[in-house]
Amino acid sequence: MSDAALLEIEGISKFYGNIIALRDITTSVRAGEVTCVLGDNGAGKSTFIKILAGAHKQSEGRLFVEGEEVSFDSPRDALARGIATVYQDLAVVPLMSVWRNFFLGAEPTKLGFLRVIDRDKASSIAKAELAKMGIDIRDTEQPVGTLSGGERQSVAIARAAYFGAKVLILDEPTSALGVKQSGVVLRYIVEARNRGLGVIFITHNPHHAYPVGDRFMILNRGQSLGDYAKAEISQEELTQLMAGGADLATLQHELSKAISGD
Amino acid sequence: MAAESSATSAAPADERLAYRGPVQRLLTRPEIGGLVGAGAIWIFFWSVSDVFGTTAGANNYLDVATSLGIMAIAVALLMIGGEFDLSSGAMTGATGMLVVLLVKDTGELGGLGLPLTIAIPITFLFAMGVGWVNGTLVEKTGLPSFIVTLGTFFVLRGGKLGFSKLFVDKVIVEGLDDAPDYDFWSNIFGSVWIRNDHIWDSFLGGRDVVFGVLATLGVAALAVGLMELSMVRRAQGDRPSMNSGMILLVIGLAAAAAGLVALTATDGTAANWIWSIVMAAGVLVSVVGYCTWRFEPSSGSAGGLSMGDGIGRRIGIGLGLVVVGTVLGVAMDSSNESVLGLLLTVQGLRAILFGGCVIVGVLMLLSAARDSEDSPVTRFATTALAGVSVAVVGFVIQAEAASRKYRAEFFAWMMAAAVVLLVVAVVRMRFDQRRQPDGEADRMGTLVSIIGIVLIVMAVATKLLWATTSELEQSRALITYRISILYFFAFAAVATWLLMRTKFGSWAFAVGGNKDASRQVGVPAARTKTQLFMTVSGASWLVGTLIAFRLNSVQANVGDGLEFFYIIAAVVGGNLLTGGYGSAAGAAIGALIMAMSFQGIPFAGWNSDWRFLFVGVILLLAVMVNNYVRGKAEKSR
Repeated sequence: MSDAALLEIEGISKFYGNIIALRDITTSVRAGEVTCVLGDNGAGKSTFIKILAGAHKQSEGRLFVEGEEVSFDSPRDALARGIATVYQDLAVVPLMSVWRNFFLGAEPTKLGFLRVIDRDKASSIAKAELAKMGIDIRDTEQPVGTLSGGERQSVAIARAAYFGAKVLILDEPTSALGVKQSGVVLRYIVEARNRGLGVIFITHNPHHAYPVGDRFMILNRGQSLGDYAKAEISQEELTQLMAGGADLATLQHELSKAISGD
Repeated sequence: MAAESSATSAAPADERLAYRGPVQRLLTRPEIGGLVGAGAIWIFFWSVSDVFGTTAGANNYLDVATSLGIMAIAVALLMIGGEFDLSSGAMTGATGMLVVLLVKDTGELGGLGLPLTIAIPITFLFAMGVGWVNGTLVEKTGLPSFIVTLGTFFVLRGGKLGFSKLFVDKVIVEGLDDAPDYDFWSNIFGSVWIRNDHIWDSFLGGRDVVFGVLATLGVAALAVGLMELSMVRRAQGDRPSMNSGMILLVIGLAAAAAGLVALTATDGTAANWIWSIVMAAGVLVSVVGYCTWRFEPSSGSAGGLSMGDGIGRRIGIGLGLVVVGTVLGVAMDSSNESVLGLLLTVQGLRAILFGGCVIVGVLMLLSAARDSEDSPVTRFATTALAGVSVAVVGFVIQAEAASRKYRAEFFAWMMAAAVVLLVVAVVRMRFDQRRQPDGEADRMGTLVSIIGIVLIVMAVATKLLWATTSELEQSRALITYRISILYFFAFAAVATWLLMRTKFGSWAFAVGGNKDASRQVGVPAARTKTQLFMTVSGASWLVGTLIAFRLNSVQANVGDGLEFFYIIAAVVGGNLLTGGYGSAAGAAIGALIMAMSFQGIPFAGWNSDWRFLFVGVILLLAVMVNNYVRGKAEKSR
């Protein structure tokens, strides 16, 4: 607890008119830790990410990066503070090559003001960085659209890590993937954590979250159901909470009554 | 350890990567469909018109392609970025008109009487401003650019008419040469190069000799480069300094050269026969000699003559079509110009039947050859058959044709195609095709191929851009080249470089391909799109200024409605309407296709009322070819 958290979220709320999307959310992520944000559909996960990524502004509450209060006006601001977001669906430009995607927005250039892309450098760095994450890319000239879903996520993760992201926000990286592919992505998450990044891993799957997470925050209907360290909660409890514990028990009770009733 | 690391570094190629030959790699370029189309259209009009294929024709369609092309390239950049600009056509007129109005000192209200040195930068700033407004409106409102720029289009259109009526009380503003420094600026924007004298008659034996030498060297270099790219090299130690291959190469080259010299010196049919065969044999022998010296011979496993299910049928139909076409061509009366209906003369019908049957027949043979990958003998036989068919048809044309154009030029090209097919057949049978990349050979092959292509382009430019005395005497008008052609070529080159090599180009592809993703990784999407809109309006400024200097006056309706032609040219050149894919060179080629289609129709002596029908067909064909080629390209990646 001695070192300051990389990113601290304090009492964040977001209102869209009279709709309360998020109310009073507090959590944090430290370097070399994975904070999992769990929640069912409509729990407010997307709103939460968009605030952290700088796409939306919170209505109430404060954000601290390395102990310093910040306010993001655009995704570029968030990026400049070392917060990189990898969205599940819009992580890459499918028709562009792997290396162009890897360096998109921050291409290494030569010849000064002409801003000519240093293709050889970009291509070899992309290949090496992907290899470090354990992704062996066949040809960095191939369009990203030809990679599998897991590989695409991994390209985006490797890219964020390479560009000095301190905090990596992953929006449901495993939701569209099969079991094996999900395992691959989870491995990259651990890899990123071991390299000293703080990771915020958003998911609705406690089986994916529990093995990699150090900290768990459960969202339900825009409110936090608690912020736990791994030692404080078991996977069963997490699953219970996540499914809305009490609701599930009531449902079970009603179902058994209905079955035995007739 | 050391041995292990050297073993890994010695195998840079990834075994999961299938090696793609040079032709397949070329097919993945977006402009390839347009290039093939441009060639086909050129050949079509060349064959139906006497003037189209000459310098006068090139001068004519290049002039039209210039203003269309400069705009099409800019519009293509914007389309790659995922937006449209419908105000681009009206902008060309607006900038042209503005510069004239600024320099005029006559008229009731209008005319500040500025020198061009001030008026031209003001016009440029105006253009940049309109582009900025377009881009900013699209970005801030989130409305489709189609709607926003339709608005600016009407504003500009109305403004042009309104202001010209207000200031000069006419729908045309005249008198750019009122400006005191007109002479200086007209060197930059209005230079004309009149080709009624020519260095080529005395230079190195005349234009056609220069063309012939450049073209031969270019084709040879391209052939060497392509072979280097596609075949297995012999190992270093396995290459004796003076083996039979070198001797064959020398003998073959000598025979080919002798054939060429003799061919240009004789005009008798019998002699042509003999010398073309000598030349063809010489080329074949020299290529085989070169390959024996440099490449690994085929490792056997020839297999017998085998016909897969479709292949035998295709060979049969292909051969049949060639024969039927030839018989029809010989049997029908070539000088009968009586009309059969729907504009078609007996002569035209004969040309269509003959040409159609032969082209489809040869293509069927070639497709059969391509698909008989597993039986080298069948492949050899089919390719050679296609070559022989082309040669025979060439001789038939030479015997039948009335004009020298077919007897000499076309015949020569048919012979060249036949020789190429025969050489390909023999070389592919005798030598191994590469299946792995080979760094050194790839680099050298690419370099030599590029030299070959440059030489060929220089040869074509020599032939098309410079007239000889006799051609000048035949053509109706003076041949004049405007400086705008240089702007066109320069802009095409710069735009291609921008797209492929710079950050700006990468961002243009990114915002067109997936705007949200590029925003997320920090691409300034709004700024990039605004810059693209400003590129289009900047190009409009260039074209508008060129028009003003050309005509000395600008009508209020100049450019109105041309915006769709820019978009069509970009699409014909392989740019996707949905953004994220395309090329600037493709748009330039698209503009060339449009210009050739427009100008070719009057050259062919047809009623130009039909030109839009023709353009429509071209557009549909081009888009379908693009679609097909892109499908192939994406599969082969």
